[in-house]
Amino acid sequence: MLELENLVAGYGGVAVLRDVSIKLDAGEIVGLLGANNAGKTTLINCLSGMVAPISGRILFEGRDISRLSAQQRVEAGIVQVPEGRLVFPEMSVRENLLLGGINARARTHRPRQMDKVLELFPRLKERLSQHAGTLSGGEQQMLAIGRGLMAEAKLLMLDEPSLGLSPLFVQYIFEIIDKLPAEGLTVLLVEQNLMLTLRHAARCYVLERGQVAVEGAADVVMNDPRTRSAYLGL
Amino acid sequence: MREEFYKTLSSPLWWGVLVVAALLPLVLSSYYLHILTLSLVYVALASSWNIVGGMAGQISLAHSLFIGIGAMLSSALLLKFGVNMWLGMLISAALSGLLGAVIAWIDFRFQLGHLSFVLITLAFAEMGAIVVEGWDFLGGASGLLLPRDTGNFWLFQFGGGPGAFWVMLTLAAACVLVNIAILNAPLGYYLRTIRDNEKAAQAIGVDILKYKIMAMVISAVLASVVGTAYVRYLTFADPYLLISPVITIEIVLFATVGGLGRAYGPALGALLLVPLGEILRGKLGSTLPGLHYFIYGIVVIAVILVTPRGLLSLFERVWWSWRRPAPHQ
Amino acid sequence: MSELYQALAQGLLIGSTYGLLALGMGLVYGVSGVVNFSHGDFISLGMFMCLALYSAFSLDPYVSVLITVPAMTAIGAVVYIFLIRPMVGHQFLMVVQLTLGLSLVLQNGILMIFGGQPARTPSVVESKLLILGDVVLQVPHVIAFGVSFVLAGGLYIMLRSTDFGRSIRAVHQNAHAAALMGINVGRVQVLTFALGIGILALAAALLLPGTPIQPTQGLRYTVITLLVVVLGGMTNFVGIMLGGLIIGIAEAFGTIYLAGVLGLLMPYIIFVAIMLFRPQGLTWKSRQ
Repeated sequence: MLELENLVAGYGGVAVLRDVSIKLDAGEIVGLLGANNAGKTTLINCLSGMVAPISGRILFEGRDISRLSAQQRVEAGIVQVPEGRLVFPEMSVRENLLLGGINARARTHRPRQMDKVLELFPRLKERLSQHAGTLSGGEQQMLAIGRGLMAEAKLLMLDEPSLGLSPLFVQYIFEIIDKLPAEGLTVLLVEQNLMLTLRHAARCYVLERGQVAVEGAADVVMNDPRTRSAYLGL
Repeated sequence: MREEFYKTLSSPLWWGVLVVAALLPLVLSSYYLHILTLSLVYVALASSWNIVGGMAGQISLAHSLFIGIGAMLSSALLLKFGVNMWLGMLISAALSGLLGAVIAWIDFRFQLGHLSFVLITLAFAEMGAIVVEGWDFLGGASGLLLPRDTGNFWLFQFGGGPGAFWVMLTLAAACVLVNIAILNAPLGYYLRTIRDNEKAAQAIGVDILKYKIMAMVISAVLASVVGTAYVRYLTFADPYLLISPVITIEIVLFATVGGLGRAYGPALGALLLVPLGEILRGKLGSTLPGLHYFIYGIVVIAVILVTPRGLLSLFERVWWSWRRPAPHQ
Repeated sequence: MSELYQALAQGLLIGSTYGLLALGMGLVYGVSGVVNFSHGDFISLGMFMCLALYSAFSLDPYVSVLITVPAMTAIGAVVYIFLIRPMVGHQFLMVVQLTLGLSLVLQNGILMIFGGQPARTPSVVESKLLILGDVVLQVPHVIAFGVSFVLAGGLYIMLRSTDFGRSIRAVHQNAHAAALMGINVGRVQVLTFALGIGILALAAALLLPGTPIQPTQGLRYTVITLLVVVLGGMTNFVGIMLGGLIIGIAEAFGTIYLAGVLGLLMPYIIFVAIMLFRPQGLTWKSRQ
């Protein structure tokens, strides 16, 4: 469903990703691991259209989407839940969710989608008119994921969803993530937390300094000594 | 003070340019000499503003007060009390410095945001203009006419054309040198820290108040001195020119377009835009009212679109690509 | 005492239009980070367009808006795309200088076409008066007040309840996140700027009846709008409208109670007084 072919990308002409090739099949949860600055966020920003690739191709559902704008990527169904949540602080939970579904494809089913998301996250339903900036970290993460779901994503990319959350919230959020393929979504899970990701993702890629160091099924990746060295920089 | 300053002082290029410039009165007609003299006045003024606006990042529109005091007060003291204009210049400079310190203190004490500071200094500038235009001692609305310039240097007279040019050349060079000196001294470092992140600067213990006051005082004193010299050159102290907020707006334009916060930026901006304005006005001023400013505005827009980082950075890019044609890693 | 009510009433009437002018500037600042220093000259442009339409077709300014508003909205979009968008991300002061260049172009373009003599544009309501007790109000001012408030209210509703309004607020609060929602940030910026200029065209028609106009008046309007916007906290809707009323009242009090030029300083004085003791402006944010 998603294929990155020899992607080279970076900022200001300096390459962060150097020849990355990744594949996702529909309905999978795939983990993207790596230490800080390995290039994980650059990769999903590339997929979202926020960073233009220097070379390489991005194929989504068979189509080359490398030239599509950020807006068009969302319309195509590629949706990012960014690192740090980035909720709109002075807008209510409801308004944040409405904005999640603002793209043309999602807008037609927005009320129905809103009901579904609120069912999934009853806590948000209680705080519908509260300003997003006043929510706790865990609630903001729920809102950010809810916002991503509102966009009628086909591919949902989550950047460090566990960051700064209490273990209880992490468990809750990841239970939701597990259910997403059943709803027809494919999930790309970017995480620093190695063990957490290996428990929920069927397959994983480990990035090290902008290149794929390890790839394969979760248990294979877990036992590969290169994974450890990628994290510890050895 | 670091080596760059001394390097400049001993640089043959720097002195070469100055010597060539000093010889210009011998070859230029009085019309072009006048335009160049005027440009040098604005080089000096824009460079003085650069210290507080470009280096310290405090966009102050109060500069017309300092220029105006330098011009109007020294003229009034000469005409009404017979005070030698050298002394008048010093008195005005001291007063401007004091006023600058007060404004800097207000900025610090009340934690003004940047746009707030712009508008509040504009308010002071407007008030200053109204005070001067309503006070007969300072010439009121009709201004003051200085005695004829007979070239007596002890009376602060330059003797017209070439003499005035050399004075303005000296002042312009001095103001640019002050810029270079500050940029290469600890003061420059502190000012830029304040400009780039005032909160962080305060957190690491930079004495914000002291350095803001220093920048403003130096800037004000320079502007005041140039103001006194300028009014002597014009012989007529026109309040609508010398203490109007418009003069500050022009200076800020030159400093920004040339390269804000850089030593040579304001000079470049003034040397390009002042002659442009004067020549446009000379050639087109009487044909259709407004035409010369219309074209001037278009040129300003075009220059900014072409060099959004300032003329100085454009020249630098050209200079480096000429020096080293091969791309560097 | 009736002088007091007169000043108050006049101030409120003009203040609501000042608030409207400032809303346009505040929206653009919130979405693009740009402060347009030719703001007042666009108002001038709108006024002179009405003058031209009157001279050519005898159209009343209140009717000319049907032409000037769409025209100026289009001009605004063009100006943004070609002059301002290339500058986004560059030094704030440099963008300001560009708008000052634009101000020169507009001012002098108008001067070249219309000449420098003050001109009046007659309107059917020009000399009509509304008398409430001791207070004498000019009907054009009352109409300006009403329309400004209605338009401000409309803007408020637009921002709160429409997707376009929400995208404006989203881009202001976090442009990166807004882009991730599929919002075309660039388009929001163009449309907001164009909307701002369109508002100026309408405000120009409101301010026009009974006022002699000249090409150099733009700067005065720009400064007043800046005072109101900064007073209102740059992007705070209610703060800006409130700021408009305060500046309007300050101006009215100044002209009625203080002699000559000192009266013109009143808005400045009130501005300085408020900002010195409340640098965050008329917002409810606590001081940082």
